[in-house]
Amino acid sequence: MFVLDGYDALLGFLLIAAAVPALALVTNQLIGPRRRQGERTTTYESGMEPQGGAWIQFNIRYYMFALVFVVFDVETVFLYPWAVAFHRLGLLAFVEALIFIAILVVALAYAWRKGALEWS
Amino acid sequence: MSLALSTQLICFLLLSGALLLGALGVVLLPNVVYSAFLLGGVLLSMAGLYLLLNASFVAAAQVLVYVGAVNVLILFAIMLVNKRQPLRPMRVLLLRRLLSVGVCLGLLALLVQVALTTPWDLPGPPSIGEAAITRIGEHFFTDYLLPFEVASVLLLMAMIGAIVLARRDVLARDVVTGAPADQALLERQRPPLLPSQDGSSPSAPSP
Repeated sequence: MFVLDGYDALLGFLLIAAAVPALALVTNQLIGPRRRQGERTTTYESGMEPQGGAWIQFNIRYYMFALVFVVFDVETVFLYPWAVAFHRLGLLAFVEALIFIAILVVALAYAWRKGALEWS
Repeated sequence: MSLALSTQLICFLLLSGALLLGALGVVLLPNVVYSAFLLGGVLLSMAGLYLLLNASFVAAAQVLVYVGAVNVLILFAIMLVNKRQPLRPMRVLLLRRLLSVGVCLGLLALLVQVALTTPWDLPGPPSIGEAAITRIGEHFFTDYLLPFEVASVLLLMAMIGAIVLARRDVLARDVVTGAPADQALLERQRPPLLPSQDGSSPSAPSP
């Protein structure tokens, strides 16, 4: 059985999103100047002069944020069915979801206390 | 063949092709960063397959968790240790390849056996869309309540473990450089993100 209704908008969105970079590149090829020398060959970085290579090691801080993000991402996935079925579940489920969130607030407090949420 | 069925077939073929090619690229490409990006494409096409199976919540969870979080984590892990070092040829390569072929074939046999022996009939009418999410929520708070609550404890453990491990990494690097090791994880002054031009500057964090 196959339904997939309500995904027409997604299909149109995908088609337009695929067309945007293709159109940008093709237009560039068609009407852009052909000379390729000097600064034309460098990487475009929002107007800044590119500095160093792109294949560098990343700062470990990004990894910390990604780790913390994974935990709260999974929490979102767990809480979403509860939010959708909220009216049918009643008070007990509300209390249980509060326990769930409280345990994860402990995790948030730990990360906060250890400075994992700070950048500087 | 009706229009909906042919659309489904075309979508299935496109997604399967993207999935297989991407998976082959993950295994075969020499650059591990490209492999990680292709892994994101593989996981996205898997989400598309879930959509084709009317499992929209599973597809959303796939995109949210695997593409959005796990794959980003893998990419960061790769970019953290992205050192240009000459690879030495592996010893006993043939034996390793034979062993991995054996493990992969065993896994394939296991999966085929599971696919053949699983009763695929659903009890009751299948719920689709929002009804399916409501059903998942009802299961969470009735017969799967304990796993639901234990999952939060698991997430708490994962967070604390990750922070402790990362902190030990910082401490180890302090021991190596001889600098005094402080307990705060990220409050230390760090070198700038972009290393200087020679590439071997001490600003690059060692893994």
